[in-house]
Amino acid sequence: MSPGVEGEGGDGRSVRRDAGDGDVDREIAGHIELRAAELEAEGWKPDRAREEAERLFGDKEEIARACRAIARSQQRAVRRGMMADAFWQDLRYGVRTLLRSPGFALVAILTLALGIGANTAIFSVVRGVLLRPLPFGQPDRLVTVAELSNKGRPMSVAWPNFTDWRSESSSFAGLTVADPFPTTVLGGERPVKAEAAAVGQDFWKVFPVRPVEGRLTVPADHAEGAAPVAVVSRSFWRNQLGGKPLGDYDLEVDGSHVRVVGVVPDGFDYPVGAQIWTPAEPQKHSDSRSAHNWKVVGRLAPGVSLDRARQEVDALTKRIVSGLSGEDPDFIATGAVVTPLLESMVGNTRRPLYLLLAAAFFVLLVACTNLASTLLARGASRERELAVRTAIGAGRSRIVRQLLTESLLLAGIGAIGGVAVGIGVVHAVVAAGPAFLPRLSSVAVDGQVLVFTAAVAVVTALLFGILPARRMTRGAEADALRAGSRGNALDGRGGVWRFLVGVEVALALVLLAGSGLLVRSFRTLLAENPGFDAHDVDVMPMSLSQIKYPTAADHGRFYGQFLEQVKAIPGVADAGVMSTVPGEGAPNGRLELDGSVDKHAVGEYVALSTGAFKALNIRLLEGRFFDERDGPNDEHVAIVSKSFADRYWPGEDAVGKSVTGGGMDSFWQERRFARVVGVVADARLDGLDQAPYPTVYFPYTQRPSRLRYSAYVVAEATDGNPAALTGALRATLRAADPDVPVEISTLTDDLRDSLAPRRFVMVVLAGFSLTALLLAGVGIFGVVSYTVARRTREMGIRVALGAHPRSVRGMMVAHAMRMVGAGLVLGLAAAVALGRVMRSLLYDVSPTDPVAIAGAALLLAAVALVASWVPARSGTRVDPTITMRAE
Amino acid sequence: MGDGSLELLKGTLDVLLLKTLSGGPLHGYAISRLIRTATDEAFQVDEGALYPALRRLEKRGLVEAEWSVTDTGREARFYRLTEAGETELTSGVRTWRRYVEAMGRVLGVPAGG
Repeated sequence: MSPGVEGEGGDGRSVRRDAGDGDVDREIAGHIELRAAELEAEGWKPDRAREEAERLFGDKEEIARACRAIARSQQRAVRRGMMADAFWQDLRYGVRTLLRSPGFALVAILTLALGIGANTAIFSVVRGVLLRPLPFGQPDRLVTVAELSNKGRPMSVAWPNFTDWRSESSSFAGLTVADPFPTTVLGGERPVKAEAAAVGQDFWKVFPVRPVEGRLTVPADHAEGAAPVAVVSRSFWRNQLGGKPLGDYDLEVDGSHVRVVGVVPDGFDYPVGAQIWTPAEPQKHSDSRSAHNWKVVGRLAPGVSLDRARQEVDALTKRIVSGLSGEDPDFIATGAVVTPLLESMVGNTRRPLYLLLAAAFFVLLVACTNLASTLLARGASRERELAVRTAIGAGRSRIVRQLLTESLLLAGIGAIGGVAVGIGVVHAVVAAGPAFLPRLSSVAVDGQVLVFTAAVAVVTALLFGILPARRMTRGAEADALRAGSRGNALDGRGGVWRFLVGVEVALALVLLAGSGLLVRSFRTLLAENPGFDAHDVDVMPMSLSQIKYPTAADHGRFYGQFLEQVKAIPGVADAGVMSTVPGEGAPNGRLELDGSVDKHAVGEYVALSTGAFKALNIRLLEGRFFDERDGPNDEHVAIVSKSFADRYWPGEDAVGKSVTGGGMDSFWQERRFARVVGVVADARLDGLDQAPYPTVYFPYTQRPSRLRYSAYVVAEATDGNPAALTGALRATLRAADPDVPVEISTLTDDLRDSLAPRRFVMVVLAGFSLTALLLAGVGIFGVVSYTVARRTREMGIRVALGAHPRSVRGMMVAHAMRMVGAGLVLGLAAAVALGRVMRSLLYDVSPTDPVAIAGAALLLAAVALVASWVPARSGTRVDPTITMRAE
Repeated sequence: MGDGSLELLKGTLDVLLLKTLSGGPLHGYAISRLIRTATDEAFQVDEGALYPALRRLEKRGLVEAEWSVTDTGREARFYRLTEAGETELTSGVRTWRRYVEAMGRVLGVPAGG
């Protein structure tokens, strides 16, 4: 039984049946005539008889209307039933067709599963990270507020600006600081590192949460000078604090004794990762409007638009700064900006994620073109089957429907596989937990993702199914039954094939060129000299109790002794302490030069010991490192980076000049300048992909206060195995002070993590483009094999007539490469056009980088050559006498 | 139709129509005449009212219809009971009997039939 034969042909050949309304009028008229005749027979006059018949019948129009309505709804039901029947029939037939060629089905389904799976996975990430609303009440009313720098960039907020905004603006139902700071918590089971946040009085108004224990902080807790209290997350309370009654705790957080007043449920973490929330107001805050220390977040008042809030805060800020005197104009706000909270959390991942989504879609398009050409090739061999079905009465639309049902079947199975692939990939990504992807926990293959996948599957089926279906049925009725018509049909299809292969090649080239650009960027990045040597270096982030070590000098003394103990560990080549490590970045700010308050510079400032320079192999270019001459009571000294020296003392010798400032310690207020004693090479402290910033280094012995906020001990191993030092380092720190939490990593690992976002995008895009390359290769292989198979006879004749097999082979390959070439040209144009959207993801590589783009084109051409040569060769190797008998 | 005419009880028209067709295919007018004579014109109903009822039966698959030629050479739409229609008729008759018996017991009238 073959579908399309039975049922409605759709071409008007069916037997006579009721018109759309079932001939209601005719039936009623018949009734009235018969009734009138009967009345006449009873002796009525003809005209009276008719009147009486109509009266007896009732409201003719109304009855006719009712009948028509019923008849129509019946016919609709019948049609639906027939279509459903036809669909099931098509589906069953489709399954049988696929089972007859399991190889084709398997490849097609795998191809689709990959393509759809890639889209499912990336869309899951896009949805979880970018689209899903934040898990806070009315998340679309949450905003961040930032100051604008004199370059128009958003920056953190000065405390007095925040308090002015809060008291003077009317746009917010609540406005609060929410500043995350990593800290050490003592007084629990053991000293632990924790993510804390200093938050303002309005914080719980902005983020309404119901505590699971105790209470939230109230205005009294936020009053100036109030006793420090904290709210903690449930998991922190359970896991780190042992889940005891809240009254039992006397924690030490950030140098204060803190009472725990409440526990909030897990799942609430703003700022992201926060475990402890403490009131910000009770501490003394800088009243400088150039000290940009705070993140500000608010909830828009009902009815207030984002724009209105922005205009108000911007105007307010401009008014505040216009009345200022005595602040450095370079470091105060020029305005303010209000951004949706979600946007400020994930905005910078949007471009790479959408790029990957587009790439996944390209892969799917390649898969579709591939399948379309395969289906066409199969269509050629199914020509007779289709022609027979047409001949016995299946309409063209019926056959098209049947072929599309097969496509839908493939796409449907492919989509199921794709969901499996997607779930696997999403699990892998979430498990890998790349730190650069915010909101990873909300990434999942959920209902909406499945709806997306289903939509993709349908679009996919239409994309790869409709062209072959239309092609295969065109002219099938006329030609295909005639023997020998194949050649003509093939020529007709040759154009479509060339088109499909060209598109496939173009798509693959765009992907390859894109990933080529990223790979080039990454290589360029790795080839950069970072100015330091991360090899063999262990890093220990340090965090001392501010109660046990109340002054900067106490910190300095601790590190002095601790470094001696670390250097004594066998296997340690050099060790030092520094206020930052490469990858973490350093605070930058205004510095003053040459003993004058009028001559200033902008630079990053770092406090460290000479051991840190040595452990990191930061090269000394001029002068000297710090040494025992630079004690706390000696003349203050500094070392500057080469770019600092070049920028601020161009053509002069930096050694001997002087520098101070940065608000990092009291020496700035005393105008105590430090004499420059050395110049070191530039080091990329802000990350491997960030150009080095002009930097000033101060000896921690003289200016230790930076270390109170952030300190790292770095130790270089002698034997190239920094991991082996871990045990000894831990024991040494335990012995020095058991209250300091131990955390040890290698600098190489840390820096690798800092490149993780770039690597992630690069690896995923490269994976996509290699898939596309493979698919394009398979597609070309398939088309050429098919062409060869079709033309076996012709080639046999040519060889028999004396053509060298090699030249026949060459002809076949050249034929294939012409379509590849057209695709390459198209792809090159597209790659150059699309390269621009990648600009922000590139490092020191032009979006039209010829090496990346030409390399991609060459790679693709090489694959295409192999993919067409292999089938051409096997086709021409056969004995001509055999090939001529083919058919 | 005098004072003795009855309002047709809801749902009884269907059973009536099915019963009429149980003897073989009929066109609408023949059905109408049969009901008229069989019930002695007891029911007060527009003759046209049976057409929507027939269409509904047709939609429910209880009857099927086909244009055909009558003995007198006219074209008419003939209705025929389907298998489903016969089943429906049997159960309709059974229901009706139970109904009448119950009513009869209550009202003290011997069940008819």
